Amino acid sequence: MSKQVKEQGSIPVSKVQRAAKFISTGAKVGGNYVKHYAKKMVNPSLNREELHQNNATDIYNSLSELKGSALKVAQMMSMDKNLLPRAYQDKFTMAQYSAPPLSYPLVVKTFQKHFQKTPEQLFDTFTRSAVNAASIGQVHLATAQGKTFAVKIQYPGIADSVSSDLRLVRPFALRLLNMNEKELDHYMSEVEERLLEETDYHLEIARSREISEACAHIPNIRFPKYYDALSSERIITMDWIAGKHIKEWMDTNPSQALRNQVGQALWDFYHHQVHNLKQVHADPHPGNFIIQEDGTLSIIDFGCVKVIPEDFYQGYFALIKRELVMNPEELDQIFYGLDFISDKDTEEEKTYFKGVFAEMISLLGQPFHVDRFDFADDRYFEKIFMLGDRISNDKMFRSSRQARGSKHGLYINRTYFGLYNLLNQLKAEVDTTKPDWLK
Amino acid sequence: METATPKKTNKKDYRQLIVEGFVAHVLEHGKEPASIFKFAKDLKIKEEEVYNYFTSFESVKSAIWVALFEETQRQLEEQEVYKEYSVREKFLAFLYTLIEELKKNRSYLLCLYQDKTSTFKSLPKDTRDFKEKFSDFASELVMEGKETQEIASRPFISEKYDEALWMQVGFVFRYWLEDRSPRFEKTDAAIEKSVNLAFDLMGKSALDSFLDFAKFLYQHK
Repeated sequence: MSKQVKEQGSIPVSKVQRAAKFISTGAKVGGNYVKHYAKKMVNPSLNREELHQNNATDIYNSLSELKGSALKVAQMMSMDKNLLPRAYQDKFTMAQYSAPPLSYPLVVKTFQKHFQKTPEQLFDTFTRSAVNAASIGQVHLATAQGKTFAVKIQYPGIADSVSSDLRLVRPFALRLLNMNEKELDHYMSEVEERLLEETDYHLEIARSREISEACAHIPNIRFPKYYDALSSERIITMDWIAGKHIKEWMDTNPSQALRNQVGQALWDFYHHQVHNLKQVHADPHPGNFIIQEDGTLSIIDFGCVKVIPEDFYQGYFALIKRELVMNPEELDQIFYGLDFISDKDTEEEKTYFKGVFAEMISLLGQPFHVDRFDFADDRYFEKIFMLGDRISNDKMFRSSRQARGSKHGLYINRTYFGLYNLLNQLKAEVDTTKPDWLK
Repeated sequence: METATPKKTNKKDYRQLIVEGFVAHVLEHGKEPASIFKFAKDLKIKEEEVYNYFTSFESVKSAIWVALFEETQRQLEEQEVYKEYSVREKFLAFLYTLIEELKKNRSYLLCLYQDKTSTFKSLPKDTRDFKEKFSDFASELVMEGKETQEIASRPFISEKYDEALWMQVGFVFRYWLEDRSPRFEKTDAAIEKSVNLAFDLMGKSALDSFLDFAKFLYQHK
């Protein structure tokens, strides 16, 4: 009997137990640091790659057990190439695919709750197991009346646990991202807001429709149709899109012309959203893009959409103007506007950070400085990583007590890094169009 | 026994009347009636008439639990896909359906079982017949699980598996009573995770191989 009691005692449902999971990871990561510095005393030339590798494995292992918003944070971090050293990224990009699936009875129950019908009553066929894992749900394949659908079902209880999960991630993100508490809270509120939006499937459908209609004119882009009658707060039904993800597609050796076509479609899609719609699909994860054989690109999952405030837009994109980098006064003004520097900084800090940001911006703005940019150039990405690593290891940068950069920048940066990264994977050369006022 | 279905229609009406009267009383007063006498008077029937069907309030409560179980079973059997389920899925489906049934009677159940100290004594008594039926269902599941290899046969321990499943029902019930999340989504998550854990523990694992190996070493040293 004592065994059975123990079974129940170890069910990982309570917040305390989830917290314990994070703490044990935190301890492990701490241990890795100790190990690292101990080794370094003996061998000063040791680099941090190994340390990051150890940390990434431990962190990833615990995150993948937690699912939900923790998984989402992991994914997000995996996108932020600027923030994370490379060892973390490799591990984190796996996070998407390893969440344990929902049982079929729970799928049935979710359907009954929302439609008072079972999946079999609504569709002709419905796969018993998930065909794809989404970050906060899973996707089933269904057919009805000759049509094929993708049905996305959200894990129960996710919406409720977003805030508490984020509180759990916090101490751990502090250490991982080398941020101080103030800085982190500055961004955490933004992340929480986006995550909460992402659990609202009604909103997702509305936004998917809005953006797909507004982008319908862009060549070589396609969007799935969404079905209201078969969707609810926790379920989204849309057209099933056949095709390949970027990695698989690249394995089929597509021609340069075809790769450029897909790349250009991707660029145009983001250009139109950012500069004309002022709201953007902020989840440029490879899993959200599907390529058909003829080189059309389908875009799914509008769960994470960032609305760009006008004043932020002006400041942010003014930075990529080439000449402006040279004009110090205007630059100062924009830096203040975007919270890169503030009056609390000492003169020394101001000069230092201005230098750092100017360097970052001129590097990241490079594709905008020319009419056509070749994203296949790995050296360009190498430079970005090196700069990121150098800055994040710089004493001056790490000891800063200030939050830097507008919180809106978080998702916009993520979007652009994601976009650059996708274009790099495609090895595409694209016309880097820009709005008239930036020319 | 009280729970046996009466044959004549007017008899059934009385039975029904008593059960409904009892539930209504609990819902309105937040507790059981003071006595059978008072209860019968409120229903405008004779006290001895009540004894024809139920000899105590406990047996009324027991009958309500049994009805919940039977309704759950009926609904499960209605589902085409239920027959194709693995044992793990069958048990999951059972709990999900049971919780839906309980939901329809949540206020009644909260009145009677929210207070932990008195529930500790009364719940096992009230659910005795429910448990009996459940045990039959659970041992069938365990047997099927052993056949399909989902559940490992282990000496001594595996005979207690139906008891373990019963404790899990108790856990889910108490969790659900306390659950404040919209649509009781947290209970859904709790069911999913706890059942997965239970079946992972009951299934063949490294421990079995270890015991097997230890036995081998012991016998052939």
